[in-house]
This record gives sequence, C-alpha cells and structure tokens, in this order.
Amino acid sequence: MYIFLIGIIIMAYPMVTAKRITSLINSFRIQSAFLFLATLFMAIKEKNPELYIISGLLLLLKVILIPGFLSSIVKKVKMNENIGLFLNPLVSLLIAVFLTYLSYVFTTRILAFESKAQVVSFAISLSVTMIGLFIMIFRMKALSQVIGFLVMENGLFLAASVLAGGMPFFVEIVIFMDVFVSVIIFGMFIYRINKLFTHIDVSKLNALKR
Amino acid sequence: MNIFYILIVPVILAILPAIVKRPRALGIINATGHLLVLSGFTVFILKADLPVSLFKLFYIDALSAFFIFTIAIVTFATALFSIDYIERDVASSLISRNKARAYYTLFNLFSLSMFLVPMAPNLAMVWIAIEMTTLTSAFLVGFYNTKTSIEAAWKYIMICSVGIIFALFGTIIFYYAASLVGVKSLNWLDLVSAGPGMDKNLIKIAFLFILVGYGTKAGLAPMHTWLPDAHSQAISPVSALLSGVLLKTAVYAILRFTIITNKCIGVDFSSKLFIIFALVSLAVSAGFIIIQKHMKRLLAYSSIEHVGIIFLGFGFGGAIGAYGALFHTLNHAVTKSLMFLGAANIIKKYKKDNMNMIKGVVSSMPFTGAMFTLGMFAIIGMPPFSIFFSELLILMAGFGRGLYLASGLYLFFIALIFGGMLFHFSKVLFGEKPDDMEVSKESASAKIVFIFLFVIAIILGLAMPAFLNKIIVSGVAILEGV
Repeated sequence: MYIFLIGIIIMAYPMVTAKRITSLINSFRIQSAFLFLATLFMAIKEKNPELYIISGLLLLLKVILIPGFLSSIVKKVKMNENIGLFLNPLVSLLIAVFLTYLSYVFTTRILAFESKAQVVSFAISLSVTMIGLFIMIFRMKALSQVIGFLVMENGLFLAASVLAGGMPFFVEIVIFMDVFVSVIIFGMFIYRINKLFTHIDVSKLNALKR
Repeated sequence: MNIFYILIVPVILAILPAIVKRPRALGIINATGHLLVLSGFTVFILKADLPVSLFKLFYIDALSAFFIFTIAIVTFATALFSIDYIERDVASSLISRNKARAYYTLFNLFSLSMFLVPMAPNLAMVWIAIEMTTLTSAFLVGFYNTKTSIEAAWKYIMICSVGIIFALFGTIIFYYAASLVGVKSLNWLDLVSAGPGMDKNLIKIAFLFILVGYGTKAGLAPMHTWLPDAHSQAISPVSALLSGVLLKTAVYAILRFTIITNKCIGVDFSSKLFIIFALVSLAVSAGFIIIQKHMKRLLAYSSIEHVGIIFLGFGFGGAIGAYGALFHTLNHAVTKSLMFLGAANIIKKYKKDNMNMIKGVVSSMPFTGAMFTLGMFAIIGMPPFSIFFSELLILMAGFGRGLYLASGLYLFFIALIFGGMLFHFSKVLFGEKPDDMEVSKESASAKIVFIFLFVIAIILGLAMPAFLNKIIVSGVAILEGV
C-alpha cells in the first residue's frame, strides 16, 4: 500500500519541475495510475465491489481518457510546448518539498489520527492538493492550470478514499462525472482562448484590471 | 405537496429551444414558465407545513424555502427582462438566432442548478449543485465570446474550481468527523444531531476549508478576485442572476455547515471568522467602489459589499443579526437585480460602460433613469427602502453584543460606499445627455421588471408580509439550532 502512496507523492515533484507540457501530462498520468493501483489494492484487500468499480473508473477516466484528451488539445492548438514558469524549477521543487513537510506537520500536530497509515495518507493527500494549487498559480499556460486542478482532485480523492473509507458510492460516481465534465468544459474554453488570442498563455490575459 | 415543478419547469424550458426557433416566442414562454414557478412556490410556502421531504431526494425547510423564494423572484425578473434584451441583441446581429436559443438553454440549466442547491438534503448534493452552477454559468459569462469575456470566464471557472475543491475537502473532513462518532451519513440533519460529539479540532479545520471554499463562490474578500470580472463581462441579465442569487446559494451552503459547526464548538468560532471576512470584504469593496470607472464593475464590487454585510449579520448573530442577514439576502437580491438590469439598459443605449462617458441618463431614458435613481437610493440604504431596515437590524445586533469596533467599522465603510455610489451615479444620471442621442422607446418587458422589483423593495421596506416574516423567523430558528 505504502509504495503506491509514495508513488503518488513522488510523481507530484516532476510535475512541479516540468518545463514541457507533455511531460506534465505524462507525470499526471503516472500519478493517476498509482492512485488507481492504491484503490485497486484496497478493493482486493476489502473485497469491496464498489471499490472495484471506482478503481475501474479511475483507470478509465484519469489514466486513459483525460490525459488523452489533454494530449489531443496540445496537438490541436499547436501550442508552444514550453509551460512558462513564474518560478524556476529548483525554487519550485524546494517549495513543493516544503509544502509536503508542512502538510506532515499539520497532520501530526493538529489532527489526531489513530493509525500511522491514516497520518501518512492524509499528509500525502494534503500535500498533493497543495502542490496542485501551486501548479495552478505559478504556471502560465491554461492547460497547466487544468492539470493543477486535476492534481488537486487526485489529492482530494486520496483523502476521501483513505480517510473516510470512501464517500458514499453514489457521491463518488457523481464526483467522477463532475471532474470529467469539468475537464471537457475547460477544454472548450482553451479552444476558445486559443482561437481568440492565438495563444493559451494565461499570464497574458490581463485586459481586465480593477 | 408536490413541488417538483420547481425543477421540472426549468428542465422543460431548457429543452424547449430545440423545438421553438423564434427568440421572442422563446423568451415569452421562458418568462411565463418562471412566473409559474414563482407563483406556485409562493402558494406553497403560504400553505405548506415545513419541513417537507420528498423521497429522501429533496428536503425543504424554512431556510431552504426562503432561499428558493429569493432565487425564484430573481430568475423570473431576469427571464422577463431577457425577452426584449435578447431580441434586440439578435436584431442588432450581436448574436445569432442559434446563440439566442443557446442562451435560453443555458439560462435554464443555470437556474435549475441554483434551485437544486437549497433543495439538496445532504452536503454532497449541495456541493454537486454548486459545482453545476459554476459550469453552466461560465458559458453565460463568456457568452459574447470576446477577448475580455473569455478572459473573465476562464478566471471565473478556474478560481471557483479551486474553491470548490477546498469545499469538498471540508465536506470530506466533516464526513470523517461524523463517521468517527458512528454517523455514516452526509445528510445534514444527521450531522447536526451528531454535532455535539464530534472532534473539535477536525471540525474547526473542516469549517475553515468550507468557508474559504464556498466563500470563494460567495464573493468574500480576499477570494473575490473572479467576481468583478465575471459580473461585468457576463451578458447583462445573467449579471443580475450572478450577483442577486448565485452568491447567495454559496452563502446558503456555508450556513448549513455553520449550523453543524456551532453545535459542535459553539458560535464563537464561526462568528469571529464571519466578522473578519465580512470587514475585509467591506474594506476592499469600499476602496474599489470609490476609484471605479465602469458601471457594471462598480455594481459587482457593491455585491461584495453586500455579501460582506450579510456575513456580518450572521457573525453578529443572535436572533436579530441572523434575521437581519436573511432579510438582507432577499433585499440585496431584489435591489441589485434592479440595478444590474437598469445598467444593462443604459449600457445598451450608450454602447459604453465607462461612467465618465455616460451622462444624462434621466433625460435620455426617462423611465430607466427614474428607476435607476430610485434603485440607487435603495442600494445605498436610504429609507424607506428595505435595505435600510436590514442594515439597521444588523447594526443593532452588533451594538447589542457590544461589538463596537466592528459595528463602527461597518458604519464607516457603508458611509464611504454611500458617498462613492452617490458620486458616481449622480454623474451618470443627471447632466446633459449627448446631443446626438435621441429619446427612444424603452422596452416594455424591462419596464414591467423594474416596477416589479421596485415594488418588492418598497413593500419589504414598509411592511413585512406575514408569510415572509414567518419563514424568516423559522429560518432563524433553524440557524440558531433550536
């Protein structure tokens, strides 16, 4: 189990340092694959049919469909592959590591969990969520913001499944649908931005001030 | 009693553009549909014994009924206003006929998702419904497909998506805290009864996540940055919906969590947070209102101000504060819609949004000008309009609890905003109209809407209808956890 959790957090770091959008998408795909394995592992351990379905959905949506959709956007908008960093990779990496440390401190000091497994997984999920937020804020391309959102969602999913033993099944399914629909809508807006501005560099979207 | 029509009517109206092609016909049917929802729901709250539960799918108590009623008023007003507005956009080939049909579909999906928020029986459904409101309204913000509107829509959808993730994190921690004491449920009634036993630290953290997450959507500063862009770029009737009721649905969600939190750790924690966020919102909005040049942005900042006032009311708390805050929710929805729709007419006529370049509205568009003037007095809190009374109630609650500093700051900021709005709008409203501008006929549907909203604002100010009073009082009781 731990190996999958560590995989999830480890894959967050290359996303922070990535300079090219394709490597960002690939890292996201691998992170989602670890999340899928972690869920599948739990499904096998608990012999829970609902968890099997959820891990299947994870595989389908987050490992196959969404990264595929994002890659197809990259091809279609013929964008400059460079992500555009506000902060250089080394600083970003240091911040990401610091965020992980902060999440760990927060989890151990403030939240009283019973088991070690819960502490580790909550700290990891919180830090993945924060790193996702970091990617959303400090990367300039619209697509990298979408991936930041998805990384946040991965962290959230981990928190939900490990912490609370999964949300009610119906809720999980709807959240999946929601993520999928969101990504499609984000994609539609990226196409529109690209058409109007001939780039998808969000840092240059600054006509509206005050 | 069957109140599924609240949801069925928007669904039918959303499908209708597939069959009916003419924008005007669509608009009229749309407005009629929303009139049915509003009148049907008014009859419902006059008669029904709340709370009502429908197959465990929907749950309506006094608090949700109050919010549904508010949403119904504003959706009806904007639906009616849209008839002429959209038709003129089509006539001036600003949008195509197909786009006009898309507008009515999106309008109804958006209003459907807003109605779902207060009807949801559990915290996950509330989350889903609020997420739906973002996704549907993003298209209405980016409706004109211009550079600025797409920019605003992108910021809106991104910032609110982050907010909604935080809110879900909070929801999950609430669920976990409840499951620790043996309540495996997201149903908010179950959570309220489980409240006293839950882990206090967990709930504090969860509530912070909720407040920041949904607070983003509600337009609380400093998470408000999407709001002025989205409200100013959205197609004007939708600006009224965004400001009038969309923000309130997020407020509603926060209130549901507040009830649980207060059961667990007492009112102090949430009350302090509310007052801090509210005062920051008031300060930010006051600053930006004073230096503002654009009319719709000014109104957007004024929405941040009023959301701040609402939270201040809940923060001051007690029966008076909560009553004032709920009352203010309705008053702001009605008055701000009047202002946004008035601004829509003005901007359409002058073809610009910069207040330095708009002059003499009262002489160029007498009816809209007069209504906008009255609306301005209402929104800055002059008696006898209803906002004056709700702001007064909130102030009384503040003094009643001995929070003199917060109350003093509140008075100071609304005085600043009072002056700022009066200064900006009197320049726009009075003075000489441009020489080449003719006094043209004003849209009939808009006139009816203005009168409708104005009458509500003044009636609520003069005498509170008994049924509304009853529902607000029971809403307050739910908030107080009685």
